[in-house]
Amino acid sequence: MNSAQLNVQFVTCPACGLLCDDVQVKSTDNAIKVQKNGCAKSLAFFEQVTPELQPTIAGKSATLKEAIAEVVRLLKQAKNPLLDGLSTDITGFRALFGLAQKTNAALRHTNATSIARNMRVLQSAGWQTTTLTEVKNHADVIVCFGSNIVAHNPRFFGRFIDMDGMFVSAKNRQVIVLGNTQKTSNIKSDALEAPWNLPCRPDDLPSVTIALRALVAGKALKASEIAGIQVTDLQKLANILKAAKYAVLAWVAKDLDFPHAELTIQNITETVATLNETTRAAGLALGGSDGDTSANYANAWLSGFVLDENIPDHDAVIWVNSFSVDKLPNNTPHPLIALGVAPPSNITPTVYIPIATPALDCAGMLFRVDGSVTLPLKKIRENHLPTLSEVISQIEALL
Amino acid sequence: MTTLLKNGKIYDPAHQKNGVIEDIYIKNGRIVAKPNATEKITQTIDLKGKIVMAGAIDMHSHIGGGKVNIARMLLPEFRTYTEPEAHICTPHCLHHATPTTTETGFRYIEMGYTAAFEPAMMPINARQTHLEMGDTPMIDKGGYAMLGNDDYFLRLLANNADQKAINDYVAWTLHASQAIGIKVVNPGGISAFKFNQRRLNLDENNAHYQVTPRAILQKLSRAVYELGVSKPLHVHCNNLGAAGNFQTTLDTMTASDGLPMHLTHIQFHSYGTEGDKKFSSAAAHIAEALNKNKHITADVGQILFNQTVTASGDTMMQHLNAKHANPKKSVIMDIECDAGCGVVPFKYRDQNYVNALQWAIGLEIFLSVEDPWRIFLTTDHPNGAPFTSYPHLIRLLMDKTFRNEMFDKLNLDAQAMSNLKSLEREYSLYDIAIMTRAGAAKLIGLNNCGHLGVGAQADITIYTDQPDREAMFSKPDFVFKNGELVVKDGKVVKVVWGTTHVAKPAFDIAVEKSLDSYFEQYHTIQLGNFKIADDEIGNDGRGSITVNAKKND
Repeated sequence: MNSAQLNVQFVTCPACGLLCDDVQVKSTDNAIKVQKNGCAKSLAFFEQVTPELQPTIAGKSATLKEAIAEVVRLLKQAKNPLLDGLSTDITGFRALFGLAQKTNAALRHTNATSIARNMRVLQSAGWQTTTLTEVKNHADVIVCFGSNIVAHNPRFFGRFIDMDGMFVSAKNRQVIVLGNTQKTSNIKSDALEAPWNLPCRPDDLPSVTIALRALVAGKALKASEIAGIQVTDLQKLANILKAAKYAVLAWVAKDLDFPHAELTIQNITETVATLNETTRAAGLALGGSDGDTSANYANAWLSGFVLDENIPDHDAVIWVNSFSVDKLPNNTPHPLIALGVAPPSNITPTVYIPIATPALDCAGMLFRVDGSVTLPLKKIRENHLPTLSEVISQIEALL
Repeated sequence: MTTLLKNGKIYDPAHQKNGVIEDIYIKNGRIVAKPNATEKITQTIDLKGKIVMAGAIDMHSHIGGGKVNIARMLLPEFRTYTEPEAHICTPHCLHHATPTTTETGFRYIEMGYTAAFEPAMMPINARQTHLEMGDTPMIDKGGYAMLGNDDYFLRLLANNADQKAINDYVAWTLHASQAIGIKVVNPGGISAFKFNQRRLNLDENNAHYQVTPRAILQKLSRAVYELGVSKPLHVHCNNLGAAGNFQTTLDTMTASDGLPMHLTHIQFHSYGTEGDKKFSSAAAHIAEALNKNKHITADVGQILFNQTVTASGDTMMQHLNAKHANPKKSVIMDIECDAGCGVVPFKYRDQNYVNALQWAIGLEIFLSVEDPWRIFLTTDHPNGAPFTSYPHLIRLLMDKTFRNEMFDKLNLDAQAMSNLKSLEREYSLYDIAIMTRAGAAKLIGLNNCGHLGVGAQADITIYTDQPDREAMFSKPDFVFKNGELVVKDGKVVKVVWGTTHVAKPAFDIAVEKSLDSYFEQYHTIQLGNFKIADDEIGNDGRGSITVNAKKND
């Protein structure tokens, strides 16, 4: 093997919940170029240039040892710290969970609100769902509810819909977009017919989804129009779903950003349950970033609970941000310890410690958004950044 | 460092020791022969009057992986006792149905169990299963990889692939998923459900592939046998939980043409249709067939009365059962053209006719199967009851008076339909040691566990002989794991990490060629990422892999 081959490899991309593991990158002197199967998100992730970073205390350069000593001092003063952000992989989350146990800290993920939207549905009624390989091979009808899937998961249609599966060909698939119909042109190819768009405003989705749920359950509606959508169109959609062999009803919880969005998600999942009385259908929660699925799942086996959305009373914040410089901590009157890919640009943290980014600077492990698949991440850059687990174990050693 | 356990009453069925008084020496984590008189004994524990057994082995318990974790996420109410500090925990606490990984390890070791095996590890989900088992302290663990509903295998069968191609794929799967055995759940049925088939009998075709469950069982049981994997094919039969399913179970016993098979949670597959309620015990038929068919082993999957949650790969039957969910919610998932999962909470009540009879059916099977080497003590944790109720179950088996008192409290119609009270048998300590130690180790193929012979892993449990067997088995005096004292008076005194048992039979690596093109065309991850490397299990400095060598037939 010559050196040119050595630095070209397939890697797993952590930039969205799909975890595409067919992305080919080339590294030259630590600079990464995506060569194949990239998307806007994977390019932004892999090709980011990280400046030389140093630990800081109150904005001034410090050694790692000094910074860790300061973190330990702050944590010893704190009675109930908050571990915020939690943007990391499974290995990092396990370390954070251990630290939380030692310091009586609460845990809150940067995507806590959208995690909670889905978890409330799961915990109130359960659901019937599917995973990406099933979608690729079985789905003949795909309905996107109020979500701009392409914006969250750029390659969703290209990898799983816009191609022949084991049991369905691309030309026999139908894509229907209900609600947010922007950028639907992105999901079309020559093989796939243009999607059928039924636009409505996001806050009309509760009434539109409950109407569809009623129609699928065989109930008649008195109204002829709901939020600008003809009931005859909704009836047509209901008939398509009932005639489908394997309908997939997809949503991105982050896009359903209105009060009690969980009731809308539940309308979708209960529509699936009704369809499954006679044919096959399945729900699919998409989106995902910053290791949100990983943190939620690992938290479940370690603590017995899903991640909480609430921010409890706290007197210090540890902000963890391993993947993206765009994610920022909330303003806080308390000491802020930032562990991450870059110092937060909105606040000068009390202490900042740079850490390795999984899938760039260190190996790791993440859950895909559909929750059944865990994929390894590779180290593809050389530098001296400590991993999150290494920093935490040094902190714990002094606590 | 040599430890001497002196004067214990030894129950070691692997060496036909039935209550003999003997000494045991431990050195470097192993049981050793009596050392020379010159060798220094570092620690001596006098066990006069105490019962000594190998650490117990749970050969079927859902301790890790997707569906267990979904159960945790689905059921926060199982864990919301308000003040954890004030909470007085009993073996029947709700949260034992969905324990955390730490609780799993602690509760097992506190009962003297030193190993547990996850019986339904989906190969695509194996990495998660190993992550969870990796976070489970105190005990050894392992998993049985699920096959028989995955599209790759069903395509092989539909295309009349030869047995060698199937053997290579089965062996490859054992390696890729780091498993010690192969399981099949509702053969062909999980796949059939994805094509909207709602029931599947043993000789009925999967509508898409036009293959029968019987053909799947034939091929898989032969593959496991020809590869020399000790653990017989682990079979969750078709028609789980359905009235009248005992006939499917009896027929399934013939499907492997005399090759070894293990029928799991057989209680859930021993139902007749007699009586006004069209639901009856077929335990007598099942036990008779088990007694006759020496190639078949079974574990019971006893139910006990309480709230629990059922977690199964059997989406077809769990979707049907979801209407009985209590609380009223469930999760049904199709997964990765590999299999699926169904999580349905249940509350078993002694005044419910069906539940009461299920309880009696399990015990009827335990008491009617003659050979304790071929029947195993399980509740199919958490499906029949949490594993923390094993001491209660042991008392039901060992104490006829206690059992009959319990029986008298059941739904009266159910009492009228059971012959349990006519069964006089009481299990002995020796029988219990077979079922939970020697038999389980032999079945799975763990050469160094489940016995107290020289060379064995020093996993040892020591009990005080008490007439109340539930009290006795709830709280051992001492538990040693790999020679270290880890439990004293029923409480963990040292945290240790067990190994992961796997089997790695030889196979033709050429199988990856056709797998590669299948993955390329139909899967959504790379073949390389499907495979779990050895260091993924050992690299955290806690875990390790123990490869169990093939049996010598």
